[in-house]
Amino acid sequence: MTKIIEFSDICKQFKVPEKQKGKWSFLKNFFNRKCKIIKALNNVSFDIEEGDIVGYIGPNGAGKSTTIKIMSGILTPTSGTCAINGYTPWKNRKEYVKNIGVVFGQRSQLWWDVPIIDSFELLKDIYKIPNQEYENTLTLLKEKLHIEDLLNRPLRQLSLGQKMKCELAGSLLHRPKILFLDEPTIGLDAITKLAVRDFIKYINKEWNTTIILTTHDMSDIEALTNKIILIGKGQILYNGSFETIKEKYSHQKIITVELAHEYDEMSLDGYEIISHEKNYVTLKNLSDTTFHAKDFINDISKKYEIVDFSVDSLSVDEILARLYSEYELQEK
Amino acid sequence: MSKYYGIFKMQFKGELQYRAKALSGIATQFFWGLMYIYLYTAFMSSSSVDGFTLSQMASYIWLGQSFFALRYMGMPKHASDEIVNGNVCYKFIRPINIYNQWYFEYLGEKLAATLLRFFPIIVISVLLPTNYGLSMAVSGSAFILFLISLFIGGMLCVSISMFSVYLTFVTQSPKGSAAVISTIAGLLGGSLIPIPLMPSSIQYALNFLPFRYISDLPFRIYIGNIGINDALIQIGISILWLAITILLGQLLIRKSLKKTVIQGG
Repeated sequence: MTKIIEFSDICKQFKVPEKQKGKWSFLKNFFNRKCKIIKALNNVSFDIEEGDIVGYIGPNGAGKSTTIKIMSGILTPTSGTCAINGYTPWKNRKEYVKNIGVVFGQRSQLWWDVPIIDSFELLKDIYKIPNQEYENTLTLLKEKLHIEDLLNRPLRQLSLGQKMKCELAGSLLHRPKILFLDEPTIGLDAITKLAVRDFIKYINKEWNTTIILTTHDMSDIEALTNKIILIGKGQILYNGSFETIKEKYSHQKIITVELAHEYDEMSLDGYEIISHEKNYVTLKNLSDTTFHAKDFINDISKKYEIVDFSVDSLSVDEILARLYSEYELQEK
Repeated sequence: MSKYYGIFKMQFKGELQYRAKALSGIATQFFWGLMYIYLYTAFMSSSSVDGFTLSQMASYIWLGQSFFALRYMGMPKHASDEIVNGNVCYKFIRPINIYNQWYFEYLGEKLAATLLRFFPIIVISVLLPTNYGLSMAVSGSAFILFLISLFIGGMLCVSISMFSVYLTFVTQSPKGSAAVISTIAGLLGGSLIPIPLMPSSIQYALNFLPFRYISDLPFRIYIGNIGINDALIQIGISILWLAITILLGQLLIRKSLKKTVIQGG
């Protein structure tokens, strides 16, 4: 495996005007603007290997989009070096971008008031794609993304999901080696989401495209990636396989118990009560213990009369929330 | 070159989508044309001012209205929208010079709008009585030089408009910079008051600014107010202005792109 992306010691600082408070502050702000420096990225380093699908995750404002923008050559970092596919993105911009595709889930790269196919034709001219190759790619994209019927309609008439499929197709016409997806499944319905995921997997397998994906939808991460990079407050917190993180929390269970009658106060050694309403109670075992069903039944039935119970593992979202708060990322 | 042709074609197709826009443009231009002619006929009580006759004035006004879309200095809307809403980030990821992309987009938009509008206005204004309608060009060679200088003028108009894109980068607001540039260019370029009607000292001074080479020069070549020899020299000057403004524009846009921060999302 060869490293396709090497990101080392990247820092990015933004200068943000600071608002003063007080009665006449709007005048003060007008004449005397104070700036403060925000560190969006702080010594971020990681490597990504060719053909990987990597999930780049973190809470809002962690620096995900900033990283994607630096990797795609849109922003110049304050310091640090970065080599992607042998280029420095912000220095050899024109050469570098021939081999990347970018989809920003909340923006559009296609032209608003002309049929989609015209936008594709223009992208063909811009990337100088040979006719035959363009036809082949387009046929494949039409078939895999089911966009045949959409191509003759202008972008403004398409729904969100249809738009996203066309955006994806548009970013892949020139068969890039690296694909950056910034929240590609935002606002999509279940069927479209699954179709988009399948397509991403297919492209990765067939074209050996390296894919870097940011998302808040943890099911995307579960379905697509085996590697994640976790970022928070501008720093890398975790870089490795997703399984390892899941295993780390696999001993933690959520137990929902149905009681025979209502109890006013409840407590159980080794467990934390999450919620208690009427004769239902939800508990979890403390994080330094491992859950055993037999022990649990023994413990709880000594104190309370139970009718039924169910045991669940932590969901991926809960694991993530746990991770974020472990690193004290969530803003208070 | 094919990519620039592609960008150009795209603007053309976009413009063709809106037929009502073109029709209302024609109606507006026709109305303004008539109004200007009545106005200046009233001012020019004698039949000519420094050799600028009523019929030349009428032709000058009608040409201005026919090629309004080409000579009007507005704001390159695509570029300014992209800067304000952040879609400019997609310009960065294309293997193509960003200034050139915007330049050809706006030029394509202008040419498309012009081609859709100019013909009906020309036809109607030719049919109007003398002193109110559009006359023929003074000679064949004047007509050819008119076409050449008109095209250069259109390109010059785009390259000067690109400065308002730069100002949008600085101010984050397209409206202010467009208003400033279009008013200055309208006054100094002769589209509010025909330059031959201005005092001779001002006429002389305007030769040293780029604005009158956009539409004043081609129109005056057409009506014979500028002779062939002078026309050739002035076309040379307009090419020089075109080169200067494009170069300066490229530099300024490159400088501001380096500092660009794309926020959110």
